[in-house]
Amino acid sequence: MLLDALRAGDEDAFVALVTRYHASLKRVARAYVSTDAVAEEVVQETWLAVVDGLDRFEQRATLKTWLFHILANKAKTRGVRERRSVPFASLGPADAQPSVPPDRFQAEGDAWPGHWAVPPRPWEDPERRLQSLEARERLRAAIGALPETQQAVLTLRDVEGLEADEVCMLLDLSAGNQRVILHRARARVRAEVERYFEEELA
Amino acid sequence: MSFDEIVCREFAELATDYLDGAMPEPTLELVEEHLAMCDWCRDYLHQIRTTAEVVADAEDDGPRFAPAEPVMQQLVGAFRRRRQGGPPG
Repeated sequence: MLLDALRAGDEDAFVALVTRYHASLKRVARAYVSTDAVAEEVVQETWLAVVDGLDRFEQRATLKTWLFHILANKAKTRGVRERRSVPFASLGPADAQPSVPPDRFQAEGDAWPGHWAVPPRPWEDPERRLQSLEARERLRAAIGALPETQQAVLTLRDVEGLEADEVCMLLDLSAGNQRVILHRARARVRAEVERYFEEELA
Repeated sequence: MSFDEIVCREFAELATDYLDGAMPEPTLELVEEHLAMCDWCRDYLHQIRTTAEVVADAEDDGPRFAPAEPVMQQLVGAFRRRRQGGPPG
């Protein structure tokens, strides 16, 4: 087991752990601090705290949740020191925009106001088509273009597979706001996938 | 058209609530009535679910996301000292 290997001083296991989580930790940190460089520092501090805390970790949570818990505390502290406003205290302007552009729906006065005017086209075999290097690059770019708070929530929920209530606790978010932010993030990435598939067909 | 009805534009905002099972009963009923009739919103829902699944794969690219080599060396150094019973850091 990974934790046993780490406690036994297995350096390969430690390198694997860092490699596996570094990017996700950094993305969550970035929601709290002002630059990528500061986020990188926060993640490095987190790894040192993990190294120091391995013997104290009690396995009430998973190792993954513990990592993000340490990270979130360090990132919050750093954000306060930078006098940044608390990122998840309220929804940002990007979270207030509709998930789908309004012109994709019929307007008042049309035959069926509020129903699709330009409906989504079904996706054929999306998992296979999104496996190419190019497609993965596009997906990563779409995620990278999201507002930082949306990146953090999407990373925790959909990339790392944490439960909604764990994410609310980590980020001091209400359940409702967590879902709004997550949904905006998914909707934007969905739109990019849609564009990619349309280009593929063109 | 009955008054208590959800239109596609509204459902587009609710897809994640629906997938999370976080919808109050009256809304859930309206959403399920809508989905039963609307192929397009079922497609949209399916695409949101697919998106949530594929982002994990897109990020699963191992070494390219690791910290820079000198940083990794420092971290491994700290790990080694600590596991050999040295002082923290």
